[in-house]
Amino acid sequence: MGKDSDFLGRDILSIRDYKRDQLERLFHSVEDLEKSPNSLDGLLKGDLVALLFFEPSTRTYSSFQIAASTLGMQVTGFASPAGSSVSKGETLHDTIRMFEGYGTDCFVIRHPMPGAARYAAETTDKPIINAGDGSREHPTQAMIDLFAIRKAFGKLDGLKVGILGDLKYGRTASSLAYGLSNYDVEMTFIAPDALQMRPEVQHFLKQRGIISRSEKDLKNVVGELDVLYVTRIQKERIPDPTEFEKVKGMYQVNLETLKEAKPSLKVLHPLPRVDELATELDATNFADYFVQAATGLPLRMVLMSLVLGGGR
Amino acid sequence: MSEKEREERMLVRKIEEGTVIDHIPDWKAETVAKVLRLDRLAKTQTGISVAILQNVNSKTLGRKDIVKIDKWHVDEKDADILSLVFPSITVNYVNEWKVSKYHPKVPDVIEGRIKCLEVLCITNAQREPVVPKFITLKRDRVLQCFYCDTMFDFDSVPDHVRT
Repeated sequence: MGKDSDFLGRDILSIRDYKRDQLERLFHSVEDLEKSPNSLDGLLKGDLVALLFFEPSTRTYSSFQIAASTLGMQVTGFASPAGSSVSKGETLHDTIRMFEGYGTDCFVIRHPMPGAARYAAETTDKPIINAGDGSREHPTQAMIDLFAIRKAFGKLDGLKVGILGDLKYGRTASSLAYGLSNYDVEMTFIAPDALQMRPEVQHFLKQRGIISRSEKDLKNVVGELDVLYVTRIQKERIPDPTEFEKVKGMYQVNLETLKEAKPSLKVLHPLPRVDELATELDATNFADYFVQAATGLPLRMVLMSLVLGGGR
Repeated sequence: MSEKEREERMLVRKIEEGTVIDHIPDWKAETVAKVLRLDRLAKTQTGISVAILQNVNSKTLGRKDIVKIDKWHVDEKDADILSLVFPSITVNYVNEWKVSKYHPKVPDVIEGRIKCLEVLCITNAQREPVVPKFITLKRDRVLQCFYCDTMFDFDSVPDHVRT
């Protein structure tokens, strides 16, 4: 893998910062790694990555940790703010400056507040990888999701993708929509009105000339879809509890819900799931979410190797 | 200037030093005072007086409001922010009785003067040394937070002025 100036030393704050050809190069590198799984082992020996998770995380934290360790990096930081200086009230700014002082070469940051990643990037010259900032973006998850869809179908162009669930507060949903806008894809946003895509996402897609549509009920579109990306409807986000009771059934994906689906439909989910995705689907051809999850590790390895320029 | 306009203009005396904000849509002078934080200004600076004229004749607007601030020159950046909400306004700076006109323009970027509508935005975090910053999307008449991407209309700016 050579040095790639599109990634070298750059922050990964939003998937909007990456165009199709750059994403495709990333995906080719991930495919190369999947063919030769040990090819990047130890590549970044001597580098230090700080994983600063101001919001608890299990899988994203673990996959970055394993990816960094496999690349030979030293890993520091915290998986949740409890027990760190953050719980004593230390600011994001000071936390970054402190870890910078320890010689950190790259930061991976998750933070509950929207905009934290961009702010972090202004605080240090070291590359920042956004591992989720509040309800806004989760660019590496979107890269994983695009790669998983591409892997399942051999392409992204021409597909009809439904994104279902909490699209207003779900950062994976908005990042996926941004990422898909690089491709010739028809997007349908399936959610109750109160949880539809935020105005800035809709505005971005419109500016790019992307036609998307909104639907309240999955059954109206399920038969057309090639991909169904499921996210959890978060009860706590819906102002009226009776509204939640009315809508929750529409957003539970199971064999009954998918009765009219194409046999080739692939169901994805960023995981963890609660009850929006029935386990009865796990053994079916619809289920692609565990393949999708497994992509997290190689993709994050490749990404860190590109950002830190460990080209051989 | 018509006789009626001249009479109305005489409602408030001329000022030697200060700012006259003209062509404010009628009954909107209080919003101008809010955006310019004139109450805070009056508390922190001595000798400043503010006169508000409402519902006076205007050739271009029909009726209009005028705000006169004695002994204070409004920052051009604040006048530019005002023009997001009221594109018709003109600002007259008075120096030793001489008047120079300033036509505010919508800036590309606004820093520091407005807070983000998204309460959870990092710029609203306590103790973080971050200055709010917005990009103006002029065609759509919306501001977009540089950090969290939240969008809001130019018209709602008075509700988000930092106090």
